[in-house]
Amino acid sequence: MATAPLIGDPLSPTPAVAQETLQAVFEDIRSHPLFEHELHGCLNCGICTATCPSAHYYDYSPREIVQLLLTENLEGIHEAMQEKIWACAQCYTCAARCPFHNSPGGLVMIMREVAIKHGMQSAKDVLKPFTRVLMKLITTGNQLAPNMITPDAFADWGPNVAKIKAPLKTLRMAIPVPTLRTMDTAWEVNLKTSIELYTIWEASGVLQQLETIDPNLFDVVSDLMDEKRDEYQEWLEEQQEASSPD
Amino acid sequence: MSSQDHNEQSNGAGYSGFGPEWRPVKLTSREAQQATAWVEARIDRREMLTRKDRVEDVRDRMWELEKAGEIVVHRIGEQHEPVSGRTLYGWTKRIPTNQLWHHKSCGQCGNIPGYPSSLLWLQNKLGIRYLDETDQTSCTAWNYHGSGIGNIVSLAAVFLRNFHQAYVSAQAEGLPAGYYYPLVHCGTSFGNYKEVRSYLLRSAELRAKVRPILAKLGRLVDGKLLIPEEVVHYSEWLHVMRERIAQHRVIDCSGIRATIHPACHVYKMVPEDVLYDETVMDGNRMAVSTGLMQTLGAQVVDYSTWYDCCGFGFRHIIGEREFTRSFAIDRKLKVAVEEAHADVMIGHDTGCITTLDKSQWIGGAVDKVYPLAVMADCQFAALACGAHPYKLAQLHWHASPFEGLLQKLGIDVEQAKAEFEAYLGKVAAGRSETLYDPKRAITSGPGYVPRRALAGTAT
Repeated sequence: MATAPLIGDPLSPTPAVAQETLQAVFEDIRSHPLFEHELHGCLNCGICTATCPSAHYYDYSPREIVQLLLTENLEGIHEAMQEKIWACAQCYTCAARCPFHNSPGGLVMIMREVAIKHGMQSAKDVLKPFTRVLMKLITTGNQLAPNMITPDAFADWGPNVAKIKAPLKTLRMAIPVPTLRTMDTAWEVNLKTSIELYTIWEASGVLQQLETIDPNLFDVVSDLMDEKRDEYQEWLEEQQEASSPD
Repeated sequence: MSSQDHNEQSNGAGYSGFGPEWRPVKLTSREAQQATAWVEARIDRREMLTRKDRVEDVRDRMWELEKAGEIVVHRIGEQHEPVSGRTLYGWTKRIPTNQLWHHKSCGQCGNIPGYPSSLLWLQNKLGIRYLDETDQTSCTAWNYHGSGIGNIVSLAAVFLRNFHQAYVSAQAEGLPAGYYYPLVHCGTSFGNYKEVRSYLLRSAELRAKVRPILAKLGRLVDGKLLIPEEVVHYSEWLHVMRERIAQHRVIDCSGIRATIHPACHVYKMVPEDVLYDETVMDGNRMAVSTGLMQTLGAQVVDYSTWYDCCGFGFRHIIGEREFTRSFAIDRKLKVAVEEAHADVMIGHDTGCITTLDKSQWIGGAVDKVYPLAVMADCQFAALACGAHPYKLAQLHWHASPFEGLLQKLGIDVEQAKAEFEAYLGKVAAGRSETLYDPKRAITSGPGYVPRRALAGTAT
């Protein structure tokens, strides 16, 4: 059986990619349920790139993303997924400006999802700093917690992250909104709520994404959520016993 | 090329081509200005959005689907005391003003807690009934837009789950379903939920995928998906209530020069569902925040990069803040300070406030110091209405230099700080004050104690 040719730039350090892989990646992008909603046509006017914040600082152009997809430039699409798509700031200025109702930012999201599905190294590298955030989000539904904002993690925010010097716990207790008097989550999250969210993650394929990108984190999250489910089940049984006639 | 043109050369700041073909175009600044003049002439106008083919009003589909028995619509009723506003194309959007379910923002609650506390304080002042409860997740869209972990099915299921909880939440207080109407705090949640709602209404396939998930969670109404009549952002509530809020103003704001940072996910995502008002910047800017600030008597100062994003980037604020702070400083803070001579930048979204507030200190490392107070519209409104800057507006969580603004408003910063530090002593001793009865915050699951109707009192 003949081997499919490998595609690659002979002068590029990037490894050549099999044609089947390029095709599979593009098919996943094209068959995404939102693809046709985000891409309609392009005159190369460049208004998207002209107002793109990321184009100011990165080798990134929303116009290029649209053109690569419209012309079905498989190598170019694959190449853009190695770094460029992660430059997009997701502001949707491009979408607001485009006279064709294209959404380059939306197309980037489709490409990011596909990069994750294919376990691309670019996705794994880019998402390394997300470990704590993903852990928090998957297990509690909160992206951020007060005790995550430490001077070590955010040294560039300067010494005045909190202008009143007091223990974090005291400062949180001084917030007049009762649900915010928390340290580990942005607001107090009901146990039932986090169980429901985890059910959504399971049923919508998000946990599969997580396992592809970070198997260790997936294991930790699975164990933690099993414990939470057990805890909730015990609570439900206690309620049942308490409400039974004898 | 003349020597003058040569001197004006923009050091290769512009590029053409893409990928490996990118090369400096070497435009002179005059040529660069000419090249972008067409854009500049239009971006300042609402026409930029309306001159495109008009999109459909997705609410028409919503009513059709309800008539066909496929969905149930959570209606805005008279009990919600709606006030009408006009959106991009002049369509009517009804904004509920009473009996509100607060859908919190993880970034606000974790990082800028004075944001929600100011909003709740204003609602207490106006006698608004509301519920702030623990049974809600974030929209999860910050994560999705940053990491790509998530998908349209998960986002839609989270939307339907949280809005279903808003619908049934009052039952924990012995009140009927639909009593409270959800009010979304976060700009990204607002944009994401509007986008997800439109996909749900347009796609039978998506509805078929999420229905079994919601069924498993026990979150269907009569076996149907529950869709809200409107997705409403808190800034829209502030806008339609601005006259009533201004009646409580106790501080003269006329000396304050304010710049507004419109949040991308509020007005660029689903732009047809954004409030515009002919009395606010001639209808050429979204109405929220600007309308409020003007009604409070502040001077709203326009600036050339108003349409730019803040630099948050969703992924970048976590793992690549070199971009975030560079963009925030160069395109927003510098312009607001040098061009608009602003005293404050007002925002209406979590990520923007965080970025613009927290990105200032590091500018000192490269001699880019543009000190500017940054806060949410509701925080400024609360201050104008006499809220305590630390105890209530919680400004000590902000890194930007807000003290000068407070002084300009006639607030004694040192005294306020001393009062708050004294209050912290009481807090440490377990004597803290709250905006409502904490017992109301838990409506189900562990910690919930069934009780008689509390009649929605916001004490």
